[in-house]
Amino acid sequence: MNACVDLIERSVAPDASWIRPDIFADEALYGLEQERIFGRCWLLLGHESQLPEPGSFFRTHMGEEPILVTRTLEGEVRAFLNLCRHRGAQLCHEDRGVAKSFNCRYHGWAYACDGKLLAAPGEKQLYYGELDKEEWGLVRVARVESYKGLVFGNFDPDAEPLADYLGNMAWYLDILLDRRAGGTELLGVQRWRIPANWKVVAENHVGDEYHVGFTHGSQLPRPIESRAAPIPMAREIRPELGHGIGVDVIPEDISPGERGGFDEEVNEYLRSIAGEMKERLGEMRPRLFPIHGLVFPTLGMIPILNSIRVIHPIGPGEVELWSYCMVDRDAPQKVKDILVQRSIAAFGPAGAFEQDDSANWTGVTRNTVGHQARKHRLNLSMGLGHEGEVPGLPGEVGLTASDINQRGFYLRWVREMTGESA
Amino acid sequence: MTPVDAQLLADLQLWYAREARLLDERRYDLWLEMVDVGVRYQVPTRYLTAQGDVGDFGAWTVERELTQAADVFLIDDDYAGIRTRIERLQSGMAWAEMPPSITRRIVGNVEPGEVREDGGIEVFSALMAFKSRGPRERSFLTAQRRDLLGRSDGGFRLRRRTVIIDDTVLMGENLSIIL
Repeated sequence: MNACVDLIERSVAPDASWIRPDIFADEALYGLEQERIFGRCWLLLGHESQLPEPGSFFRTHMGEEPILVTRTLEGEVRAFLNLCRHRGAQLCHEDRGVAKSFNCRYHGWAYACDGKLLAAPGEKQLYYGELDKEEWGLVRVARVESYKGLVFGNFDPDAEPLADYLGNMAWYLDILLDRRAGGTELLGVQRWRIPANWKVVAENHVGDEYHVGFTHGSQLPRPIESRAAPIPMAREIRPELGHGIGVDVIPEDISPGERGGFDEEVNEYLRSIAGEMKERLGEMRPRLFPIHGLVFPTLGMIPILNSIRVIHPIGPGEVELWSYCMVDRDAPQKVKDILVQRSIAAFGPAGAFEQDDSANWTGVTRNTVGHQARKHRLNLSMGLGHEGEVPGLPGEVGLTASDINQRGFYLRWVREMTGESA
Repeated sequence: MTPVDAQLLADLQLWYAREARLLDERRYDLWLEMVDVGVRYQVPTRYLTAQGDVGDFGAWTVERELTQAADVFLIDDDYAGIRTRIERLQSGMAWAEMPPSITRRIVGNVEPGEVREDGGIEVFSALMAFKSRGPRERSFLTAQRRDLLGRSDGGFRLRRRTVIIDDTVLMGENLSIIL
């Protein structure tokens, strides 16, 4: 443990203006992350729209833990470790569906959607009626809370409420989640493996406007010299330590649709909901255009292309990315179809942007495992000391591209990793 | 069982061999000539799901595993989308394919299906696609292709392709090549 703390302190600058890639490669740190990051932080499980009826369920992960999320017959959302309490066998093997109960295939113990042990074969004859079914229900994820449709879980029974955890980030999330009375729905999911450390992926979501101009050169006007103006950089905002979002402030003289470069059908839709957005979000927020973001530790967002994703860690050198499309539930089907098509053309495993991101994340991870490479500092100093505030925008603001959000991410990581055990 | 049209089968096998070779040789200019401008190219997501009732043989289908109504594809391109994909590959800044991957596509199990009134023919086939970017970056997948080929100038043109990958989670970093 002390060795881990020493390594953390050696590997992240006090102001996080540099880090050493030890924190990507070290096996012991990865083990500690499972306990202290994934065992204590609020993690996205999914969206209420994925559980449309009593008995609806889907599988996911919290860190490396296999999770079963259900809607009980009473309509409540619950999450459990996806394992039978008898011998630890995997309980549910389907990715999603509807079920009245879950039967373990090993010895046949059966559980209700609310996790209660319903029956075990031979209860009377073999267990002499002495099996306490109350005690042997499924292991519940200690806390499950929703924020405007998004469902989060936390293994820590003493965790702060989700709303407190999100803090000011919620004010920005509302631009996506609360702009219409009907809320949002998640479509999908695309799932794929990338041989990259989860933090390499997360830091690219939380901040890093800087990479867009080069990594995504194939999607920008060419040649670079001919671009009339520098690529417009979003303001990087650190609403709370660890969370981050990149937001464009749309000038009064252009519409959000023009900023997004949407098809006319989508523009028309955006015009049609402008009044509702203003009513729900006030004057300022409808003019904010979220580009990218991250809710610490692993809920990534590319709102400009309707993508919400969870970065599931699989050992220090691999992630499984789960990417969903998020759309307004009450948008016309045609608008949803256009937004989904745009989204997957750009993001996801075959997306014109994300293919190149994944190549970079893989390269960083693979090339920093060596004894020499992992001990040298990597730079995160952009904009250090130039953070500011913008009236009306909660949180600290990098006024253009800046590493402010990545520094916040790593400072939060250090705080969680070196904090006392819950 | 309908009798096999040996000539048709031979023509199709040749068409698929040539298509695979052109993609592996990165001759996208020639490959695009094999593709109809009205094409739809889709790669569904796939899920492990419950199947039909016990004993209901016909209900245990692959379709239940694939992208449903409120869902997403991995790829959903029209002709312009495919062209954009290829232009990107040759933009000099598509880093996932810089330098280009070394690929090999092997197409087998070519099975002609229904012939439509307009001469279009459904074809099922199996694809093995190997991709190497050096010894530490190799990936391999298998898939079913469900194609609709149109007839033109005595040959075939791809009018619709659905690629059903034999995995629920895509392995191998990304899907940077055409399947």
